[in-house]
Amino acid sequence: MTTNGALSKFRILDLTRVWAGPLGTRALGDLGADVIKISDPRIPLDSSARVNNKLNRNKRNIGLRLDTEEGRNIFLDLVSLSDAVIENFRPRVMRNLDLTYETLQSVNPTILMCSMPGFGIKGPYSEYPAFGSTAEAVAGIVSMIGYDSDRPLQTGLSYADPISGLNVVWSVVSYARRRARKGIGCHIEMPLSESPLGVVGEYVTASSQGVSMPQINGNKSQYFCPHGAYQAFGKDKWIALSVTSDDEWVSLKSVILEKELQNAEYDDFTMRKSSEKRIDAIIADWTQSRNPDDIVELLQKVGVPAGKVTNNLELLTNQHLQKRDYFVELEEEKWGLQKYDGQSIDGNQKPKNMWHSMRKVGEDNYLILRELLGFTHSQYELLSSNGIVGTE
Amino acid sequence: MESPPFGDPSRLTGPFLPNGDHPEKSALFLHNNTGKKSVLLDWSTNQGFKSLKRLIADADVLIEDWDLSTRRTKGVDANTFVSFNSQLIEVSITPFGLSGPYSKWKSSPIVQMAMGAIMNIIGIPDREPLMIPGYQPDYLAGTNACNSVAIALWERDHSGQGNFLEITMLETLANLHQAPLDMEGGIRHRNGHRQSALSTRGFAPGVCTLEANDGYVTFGGGSQGIWEQLCLMMGRTDLYEGKDFTDLTGDKELSDKVDWLLVKWMEGKSRADIHREASSDWQLPVAPVLTISETIEDIQFIYQGSFQELDHPVAGRSVYPSPPSSINEKRLPLSRAPLLGEHNSEYL
Repeated sequence: MTTNGALSKFRILDLTRVWAGPLGTRALGDLGADVIKISDPRIPLDSSARVNNKLNRNKRNIGLRLDTEEGRNIFLDLVSLSDAVIENFRPRVMRNLDLTYETLQSVNPTILMCSMPGFGIKGPYSEYPAFGSTAEAVAGIVSMIGYDSDRPLQTGLSYADPISGLNVVWSVVSYARRRARKGIGCHIEMPLSESPLGVVGEYVTASSQGVSMPQINGNKSQYFCPHGAYQAFGKDKWIALSVTSDDEWVSLKSVILEKELQNAEYDDFTMRKSSEKRIDAIIADWTQSRNPDDIVELLQKVGVPAGKVTNNLELLTNQHLQKRDYFVELEEEKWGLQKYDGQSIDGNQKPKNMWHSMRKVGEDNYLILRELLGFTHSQYELLSSNGIVGTE
Repeated sequence: MESPPFGDPSRLTGPFLPNGDHPEKSALFLHNNTGKKSVLLDWSTNQGFKSLKRLIADADVLIEDWDLSTRRTKGVDANTFVSFNSQLIEVSITPFGLSGPYSKWKSSPIVQMAMGAIMNIIGIPDREPLMIPGYQPDYLAGTNACNSVAIALWERDHSGQGNFLEITMLETLANLHQAPLDMEGGIRHRNGHRQSALSTRGFAPGVCTLEANDGYVTFGGGSQGIWEQLCLMMGRTDLYEGKDFTDLTGDKELSDKVDWLLVKWMEGKSRADIHREASSDWQLPVAPVLTISETIEDIQFIYQGSFQELDHPVAGRSVYPSPPSSINEKRLPLSRAPLLGEHNSEYL
């Protein structure tokens, strides 16, 4: 086993921006890949909200003007020394820079290229801009969420982005294995709008045979009852619970002793479902005066699936995740020691003591140019003064 | 590997295709099991467990979702299988993991979405937080299991060694937040029909889902450039002139006004027109809210081959999402899900 992580001999040129791409390349970096993020030196990454900081740890950074001939040549020289290039521009950007798959292949015949366009490299919407929030809308996700059937609500979290980010990892690594065995690269095209289709696939398949979709109806489930979020004691405190079997119902009513729930008729799902509003009201009445953690503890003790509606700050101090050593603390020049989510992809990760926070734009310029391309310091100075490479 | 009598529990879970609850007609099972074979084996018996071990001895990857009590009953731990097949990659997928205070807790999709700080972002402030329907935590953890397997195989190609790996739903969900979890000390709140803010300053105006003539439309955004384009499109350059975009974030009055202006702009236009005009003429990330059946008919998805039609001896012809990528402009062809125990004679 290598000590620097499973992917330590794998070099990725990362042209991705914003979220989906950087989340994917972050994971590859956490697993040891040498990820070189290529940034436009005119656009800083660091900000007080630290969104880029979160998504760009464990990557080196070169600030390089791809829109100059010299910058583009440096990029192509790096391509010739790399295993994969990942980008999430609109298709015309790579075309205009003349950095299509064919061009990359001309300098590295086995390069892997992964493109993450919004809708596709070709096709009627190919040049339309897309964000995670608009991609989740075309993928049918938004049409399923809300309180009432006449008012769909967006997830608010740009759901297409994280799904795409996860999909990048297996796609790139799987084709990297094929490349290592057979010596052939390929161009992987993974549109942002396509990734969410898989997570609603059962509805796609059912709809294709004319089965009507469940109406938008809050957290109600066709198959489980009770099922939802119930207000607990405290400002905006909620717990979620779901009774997924008749046995779990029996357990639930052993905790919520309200007389009406003891009615044996409710031991049957269909009967519960027909009285769902009433049952929900009784549960809500019981939960509203209780501390959410106490409710969850009581319900879990008897085997009812229940959890607190957790906010981001609570998740960051979650005792279970702390115990499992999930989080990581990284030193940032501007913001000091900061705590971040760890890496959920288990495997031979880069040892945590070797993880580093986001590098500033251009922080590794000289090192990369010298180490990989043999630039002398004076050549580097010249590039800097011409603005071909630059720093934040 | 499915256990008798009914096989994978998802065979008994909906949505079902027309004409009934039938173990070969669950759309959930059919979608999640394309490209697989099925062996029906009762591994709760000694004999069955021996057969399972024989198959594992010869396998590259074992993916299982046994919880702690199942593992104890079967006498299985992290070394059990790897000990007689050193090249085996075993991936355990559980809601919370095999260790830690919640390791014995029960879970379900809504419980995961609650605990993973996802529900807290979805819905209207002061109202019940909402989940995303279906089995999202399962899908995402499944994708991560696929990630773990791919990386472990890569490593095994070099080292010859297998591994025991653990994927948990909660850890997966905790990775899927765009902003750092501390969010400058603020709480990320539900924001109704608008995008939930990524910083304590609140979100930009015009980043929301609004009603058009024939359905809903989502407007993406969050940058100076997009905000200026949006104002240009609405004919209201006065809204950004002389102002710094970041000063406008979190301005509720302005957000309400922009919603109204956008609804006015959409008047008399179909979602398809809005999509084309906003995206093509104004270069804005704007898209229609499609229902699932509209998604299947969408011209770009059709162009891309994002769906494939497969026949199935019991379930008949249905549409399935393709794997989310094409390779050198080609789609990998899907093959249908197996019938219960269809491949027993091949493997047992």
